[in-house]
Amino acid sequence: MGVTDGGNAGGSPVPPFVSVVVPLLLLTSLTAVPLVGPGPNIIRLLFVTLTLVTASVGWNLIGGFAGQISFGFAVFYGLGAYTTALSINGGIPPVIAFSLGAVVAAVASLLIGLPTFRLKGPYFAIATIGVSEAVRVVMMNVPFTGGASGYRIIDKTRFVQSHHYYTALALAALAVGISILVRRSKLGLALIAIREDQDAASDLGVNPFIAKLIVHALAAALAAAAGGVYARYSLFIDPDGVFAFRNGVAILLMPIIGGVGTIWGPVIGAFVYGLIHEEVVANFPQAHLLIFGSLLILIILFEPGGVVGLFQKFMRSIRARSSVGAHS
Amino acid sequence: MSSSSVHRLLQRSVGLLHVLAIAIAVLVLVSPVWAQDEIKIGVVMPITGREAKPGQYQREGIELAIKQINDGGGILIKSREKKLPIKEVFYDDGSDQSRSAGMAERAMSSDGVVAVIGGYSTALGEAESVMPDRYQTPWITPGAGATTTFSRGYEFVFGTLSPIDLLGYTTAQYLGTLVDKGKLGKGLKIALALENTDHGVEYGRGIDNWNKEHPGYFNVVFSEKFELGATDFSGLLQKVKNAHADIFLADAHLQDYITMHRQYIQSGMYHQMISYGARGPEADARKALGAATDYIFAGIWWSSKLAYPQVKKFNEDYQAFTGHAPDSWYPATAYDAMRVLAQAIEHAGSLDKTAIRDQLRKTELKNSILPGQVIRFGKNGQIQGSFVIVQNKPDDKVDIVFPLDAATGESVAPKPKAH
Amino acid sequence: MSAADFLNLFIAAVLLAGVYAAMSVGMTIIYGVMKIVNLAHAGFLMLGAYFVFEAYDRFKIDPLLGALLAFPVFFFIGMGVHWLLVRRIATSDQPTLTSLLLLFGVWLVLQNLGYLIWGNSDRAILTPRTLSSLEIGPISFPTVRLAVFVVAVASLVGLEFVLHKTWFGRSVRALMQNKEAGQIVGVNVSRTAQIAFGVGIAFAGAAGGLLAMLYSFNPDFGASFQLRAFVIIVLGGLESFGGVAVGSLILALAETFVILILPASYQPAIAFSLLVVALIVLPEGIAGLWAKRRRWA
Repeated sequence: MGVTDGGNAGGSPVPPFVSVVVPLLLLTSLTAVPLVGPGPNIIRLLFVTLTLVTASVGWNLIGGFAGQISFGFAVFYGLGAYTTALSINGGIPPVIAFSLGAVVAAVASLLIGLPTFRLKGPYFAIATIGVSEAVRVVMMNVPFTGGASGYRIIDKTRFVQSHHYYTALALAALAVGISILVRRSKLGLALIAIREDQDAASDLGVNPFIAKLIVHALAAALAAAAGGVYARYSLFIDPDGVFAFRNGVAILLMPIIGGVGTIWGPVIGAFVYGLIHEEVVANFPQAHLLIFGSLLILIILFEPGGVVGLFQKFMRSIRARSSVGAHS
Repeated sequence: MSSSSVHRLLQRSVGLLHVLAIAIAVLVLVSPVWAQDEIKIGVVMPITGREAKPGQYQREGIELAIKQINDGGGILIKSREKKLPIKEVFYDDGSDQSRSAGMAERAMSSDGVVAVIGGYSTALGEAESVMPDRYQTPWITPGAGATTTFSRGYEFVFGTLSPIDLLGYTTAQYLGTLVDKGKLGKGLKIALALENTDHGVEYGRGIDNWNKEHPGYFNVVFSEKFELGATDFSGLLQKVKNAHADIFLADAHLQDYITMHRQYIQSGMYHQMISYGARGPEADARKALGAATDYIFAGIWWSSKLAYPQVKKFNEDYQAFTGHAPDSWYPATAYDAMRVLAQAIEHAGSLDKTAIRDQLRKTELKNSILPGQVIRFGKNGQIQGSFVIVQNKPDDKVDIVFPLDAATGESVAPKPKAH
Repeated sequence: MSAADFLNLFIAAVLLAGVYAAMSVGMTIIYGVMKIVNLAHAGFLMLGAYFVFEAYDRFKIDPLLGALLAFPVFFFIGMGVHWLLVRRIATSDQPTLTSLLLLFGVWLVLQNLGYLIWGNSDRAILTPRTLSSLEIGPISFPTVRLAVFVVAVASLVGLEFVLHKTWFGRSVRALMQNKEAGQIVGVNVSRTAQIAFGVGIAFAGAAGGLLAMLYSFNPDFGASFQLRAFVIIVLGGLESFGGVAVGSLILALAETFVILILPASYQPAIAFSLLVVALIVLPEGIAGLWAKRRRWA
């Protein structure tokens, strides 16, 4: 499905040392941000962006590595948000609450994946929309979680923004770590084989079904954790908010912007979406849809491989030039 | 690795570090600097998305108030010994609750606002209401009336929209007066169709409360919730038909009001009294339904027909400012929210947010355009104002029919069967 | 519930199915020929609605006529969008992410254009036809829904005619069945694709105009219809027009009658649950079932 390969498969133009130094630099700078006192708005922006990174990296596991394009990841995000909210109100400590949300979503992903993975391309995508919307409508009606009125977390503790920030940062780092691990493992190779040609892969002894189920569960768990972290910050969630179709679309847009199927593509895409989208909305109340839509169109027309694709082309042209230089 | 490739590597790392640093610096700098000579007030309203129209009207009400205040030089701040103008910091939340919360947080945490007015509709209001206490910044909502928002013990949360269950209660109360006057029989059956939101739920609860306090007047024989934005209400209307009720009370947003009432008319239904909750006299509905809107009544927070002189002046000013007449109640609660805020700021004598909040708790806006002519926040931050019931009359006319001391015309009940 | 009531509900469902079919056909054409899921479909529904509204409001053109006029206008708009944007992205046998993202961007742009040009008021078209009903005994047909149904069916029939009797139609069917084989026998792929896209958008615009006669709308309009269109074309089989008709009917009947048992607030869940169940039982949609039958016969 028109995805570019990236990351560190053989012959990559990115020297391995850079691919360690840059992420470490990024992590260090992000950790340092609250300490230099940039103000609560920047921290909020980065916080939201980091939760988006987690969801984006998660989606990429199934959508990018395995090529199974899901439009319905809002359902996992929402399940994570609600499970976390209910748990925190029940007195459960936040980290366990996030994990509970992840588990619930992973189970849901099995229930969803089992019947739908045998569907081909667009049918699968549309089925995921159906599931996501059906869950949203059901949640709008279930009185236990507040139905359409939404659900509140009662949090008596003092609000310390940096706690939430570091939680999101840790989760994002964990997500990227999982992504790298999966990519470099046998599972990762199997997924890429499945993505390119599922039947050939199974001929080679890979069980596509099991592989997809596993990675779908991981992806769902990450998206749910992101939802949970967000819920704990904003304290109020409602089905039309967290389960919105628009969320599912955003979660899939981010890896596409950054470069789907790569390790860092989803991260970059989340930063672009999280930071630029919000700034555009805040500064151009009358024209933000136009601006963001045009941005998307331009990205797609000029570099469908996303930011990472652009970077790879750039690196390749440098290498070509340097190897030409070496010969002369 | 060769020394030249290490060199290139370092160059690139440094380059990337530069880019990162610049990016963060830009973000920091982009945050607005604290301007000393104006009073910044955040306004977070939907002007796109589902709630775009009412959000737009509320914004206009706020901006009219700001303009009038600034035309007089601004608000007198004792600690600065001069009048300072108001600067509006506006954000569109796109009818999206997470954006609504984010924008309110942004305004409160880094735009240097002294207060935020925002939250049209309960969901957006609930989302925003988390922020005022977090950032110790007063917040007034002119568009979210659910009591749940005000029952959490928040200290910085205020609302100029009276509770929605009181709206339902007043609707039933009005119908009760019609029974007392002999226009409607006793023991009539009511069918309720409520939108599946906080609004619909509270509206239904208000009606139930009145019925419990006044047994013998009405009987609710059917009550069901429907999802917003449906393409077809045939099934629901069939159920309403099957209930054989005398009175049909729905609570809906404008789009559903139009779709549902069209299908109601097309299937030849009739009830003695019909209402769509807080919707009825909207100009857009009149354009979409024509004479089918006649005799529909609505319980709303304000009507331009109120006979107070300050309402007449507001109507003129609003028309001049926006080029159109006030639509239903939307701009009024927002207009007065800004005015009561300005009064509280003046009484506080400074731009200290907690002082402003303390004043909001005590202040009374005496020439309010809302029913009752005075705004005073209750202990929980919400005003307990009164409502008006309006009834559409032929030829695009609207009459206030309740309370009787504000009435501009007679109730027509039961609705004529003619159409 | 009496027999008359039941019949009235059934009629209501059938008329609704006409509306649904009209709005789904556009997506089917584009998907069938180019394997692109048109996420901007909702945006063109919205523009079609405003087009018919302006024609009625300014020039007093009857909305039914306006909807028919929308066909040629949106055909050229569609061809233009294809020439400007769509032809520049690679297509393949499977829907590509790039096409999804491109059209989603187009949808955002169209929405904003709508807000900039028309503001955020809810508009509606009110004609004498809107509130009247045709009474035949105890059965009543809301006139406007009947009119929309007739136009929708006529346009579907017209489309079937074009597909089977014109060179363009044959090219389209060839490409839908097998793109490479179509090229081998001489079908001009890019030309056909451009025209197909134009036709798809033409149907979207006209359908939007028809919808404008029934519902109020603002620039946000179309999203819920688009989701239903997804359900319908998948139910019916992504590449079959007869399937679209069947899918629309099933969805409309389900939505109308299930409400009698379930609370109305669950109505949207019906469409989606139906979709999921159908896909599990029939992975290729209902048309897949037909195709299988034909193969066995």
